[in-house]
Amino acid sequence: MAAPASLSDRKKMALEFAITYAAAGALALACGAVFIVAFGGDVLVALGTVLRSSLGTWGGFAQTLNKFCPLLLASLAVAFGMRGGHFNIGVDGQIYAGAIGMTGTAFALEGMNLPWPIFVPLGLLGGILGGWFWGFIPGILRVRFQVSEIFVTVMLNFVALYLVDYLANGPWNDPLAGEAISLPIPDASVLPQVMPRAGAHAGFIIALAAAVGMYFFMTRTVVGYEVRAVGDNPRAARFGGINVARITLIIMPTCGALSGLAGAIEVSGFHQSLLLGISGAEGAPNYGAMAILIAVIGRNNPLGVTIAAAVFAVLVSGSDSLQRSIGLPGAAVFVFQAIIVLTVVFVQARREIKAG
Amino acid sequence: MTEKIAACVEMYGVSKSFGEVRALDAVDFEAAKGEIHALLGENGAGKTTLMNILSGLYRMDEGQIAVEGREVDIHSPQDAIAVGVGMVHQHVELIGNFTALENILLGREGSRWKLDVEARRSSVEELAANYGLSIPLDEQVKTLPAGIQQKVEILKALYHGADILILDEPTTMLTPHEVDVLFTILKSFAKGGLTVIFITHKIQEVLDNCDRITVFRGGRKIDTILREEATRDRLVQMMMGERGMPPEGERPAGPSAARGGHPALSVRGVHTSAKWGVPLKNVSFDVPRGLIVGLAGISGNGQKELAEALAGLIELEEGEVHLGGEDVSGLSVSGRIAEGMSLLPQDRIEEGILPSLSLAENFVLGLHPHIFKRRGVFERETAHALGRKAIAEFNILARNEHVPAAHLSGGNIQKTIVARSVMLAHETGKTLMIANNPTRGLDVMAASFVHGCLRELRAQGAGVLFISEDLDELCLMSDCIVVIYTGEILGSFDGPEYDIYQIGALMAGQKQEEVS
Repeated sequence: MAAPASLSDRKKMALEFAITYAAAGALALACGAVFIVAFGGDVLVALGTVLRSSLGTWGGFAQTLNKFCPLLLASLAVAFGMRGGHFNIGVDGQIYAGAIGMTGTAFALEGMNLPWPIFVPLGLLGGILGGWFWGFIPGILRVRFQVSEIFVTVMLNFVALYLVDYLANGPWNDPLAGEAISLPIPDASVLPQVMPRAGAHAGFIIALAAAVGMYFFMTRTVVGYEVRAVGDNPRAARFGGINVARITLIIMPTCGALSGLAGAIEVSGFHQSLLLGISGAEGAPNYGAMAILIAVIGRNNPLGVTIAAAVFAVLVSGSDSLQRSIGLPGAAVFVFQAIIVLTVVFVQARREIKAG
Repeated sequence: MTEKIAACVEMYGVSKSFGEVRALDAVDFEAAKGEIHALLGENGAGKTTLMNILSGLYRMDEGQIAVEGREVDIHSPQDAIAVGVGMVHQHVELIGNFTALENILLGREGSRWKLDVEARRSSVEELAANYGLSIPLDEQVKTLPAGIQQKVEILKALYHGADILILDEPTTMLTPHEVDVLFTILKSFAKGGLTVIFITHKIQEVLDNCDRITVFRGGRKIDTILREEATRDRLVQMMMGERGMPPEGERPAGPSAARGGHPALSVRGVHTSAKWGVPLKNVSFDVPRGLIVGLAGISGNGQKELAEALAGLIELEEGEVHLGGEDVSGLSVSGRIAEGMSLLPQDRIEEGILPSLSLAENFVLGLHPHIFKRRGVFERETAHALGRKAIAEFNILARNEHVPAAHLSGGNIQKTIVARSVMLAHETGKTLMIANNPTRGLDVMAASFVHGCLRELRAQGAGVLFISEDLDELCLMSDCIVVIYTGEILGSFDGPEYDIYQIGALMAGQKQEEVS
């Protein structure tokens, strides 16, 4: 029986994992402390403020959940691409495409008086399709013409951004708002709240379901296995009879669909209109950039990504209060995020060098 | 020379570890002026590591080196050149787009700021004449045959002042005739006072060509003996130790052993485009069931392209490929696998394994459309059971089937991909196995194991296309041999007995009529 051996192997791996992240976390805290002190702040006060405002109140907790949803979906989109060997830096564009898909569907079906249990899923599906299409473009260009998906996805970010700009200012513009924002979507297409008083919508449940779904897809389906094989060594995968082009045309659109869902939920659950700045809070890095960091920290593994996305959601939602309480710029939190990523990468690299 | 040997190079107590692997364990070695000294041992015995230390490529962990009685510190290839050590590596390390002359002068082109190739031409020509090396100095290196490229490397080492010349497996890329030429040159070098050290695992080369022999096994020096004291049996015993030589295995029977019915593989008039590498030109041959057909050729003459065209990785411009009578020319790789083709790729790292996936997941590759009962579901228990079976049956050294493939040693990785393709053959009806250099880099035992697997498939009625650059291995394994040269099949030979000089002539590009 190989089971006991494998169990102890896994325990060992889990321990190594824990040590890596504990070391990285400690190092990041130490660096962050130096930074806060340099700005004349008190480390414990700063930390307490962030935690209290993001987890300590119902309102704060709801905000954290609302941030957690797009962060997790966007990070899964990056992680899924990475597992398949593709670097998807087009998450922002795909989020916008999803937001457009959601909003467009909502406006198109407005007159049909659909009840929300039908309208909301249809709207989200519209968003998923929008993102899917935004991922399909780099996929097909890659397969047909060997164009690098990195260039295509970056360029498509701009296309999507200006498309939103056009729609929000032009055909869908809300004339009463006096700014670049669309008319509100119909009430029946708004994602229900799970904590109505605090303001948390159901998006985080959908995002968690997506993480679980990705885990099962990767480990329990033949296509998921082929995705991992192509991501690990595309040449060997081809020698093993895997149709790499077909898998690429699964990977990129799936990345897009996950991001598109994030964008759709931002519209349906949070903003309830289409506007610029859907991908990311004001003054913060956009979701696409943070998603890459989260995927790196979570090692492209659905569980790891979920945990890392939760930590980032706490930091993002706590960032506002930093400024209010101790006068530290909200951006300090993003410096702190960057430090976490750097330390994780650093500690991982050191362990790998040591292991030979 | 037997009386007193003036040591020119001495190495004492040299140890070197790579991670946890002790590649060299307190090795003493010395070579004398004017001798050809062979380093004999299996792959992984430590002989190349020792010479890489002497030539400054690796640093030793412990030990001392003396050249002509003076202790030297060798920390880089430049240090080695400064004390007169030059090494010609197994794979030619010249710049293909440069001419022979430019390659020879590389690193010594002139002063730091001034490129002055022409001014040095006469000195290179003179040196070449002195050593009897005739080289077309103005040809681009990539257009030269392997034997000439090797001479360019040798002349380069000499030009840089080497009087201790190390050659790592110098004969692997050469035809039998080129091998004879090489050793004639090396013997004249030794007569002229150079020290020649050559690394090999071929016993016959050692017996034919050297003055002294140092045998390595498992990172240790076993002994140094004179040619006169050496016999084949003694060298085998020193090389293999207690294990002895693996059994030779069943000799090939020749083409008469072919089984009837449709041949396992039938290739007709295949052409491929130059965009895939060496273009195949009108390639036609059969691999009957129950035979091993060897494909002989010097590396880079279209073997890789042929294997990939047969496997469905390269599209055909013209021609047909039939597997067991079925036309598979239009099928994908997985379609051909389903028709009974199994490919053992040449490069186990680049083309063989999925490094970070588990062993079980590696064994499943290629089989994965066939072995799971529920469509589309990756049944992990099935994969793990297959992994355990393969580890046990093929003697793979791994803790269990969950270990990432990249954690295995090279030999065990090779066993893994052999196991996979053999299992694939069993699963899909054993029509054809394409084995592209399946024993490259393996030690004698592992190579013999791979040979055994291929012979077993033959005995079970599969056709085997056996591609190898080692002519001795081909002759040992093949019922017949076809020779490929620049993408063309130049001729074929029926076994089991072969004239390697005739095959070698075809490998060098002479047509069969001209040879026989």
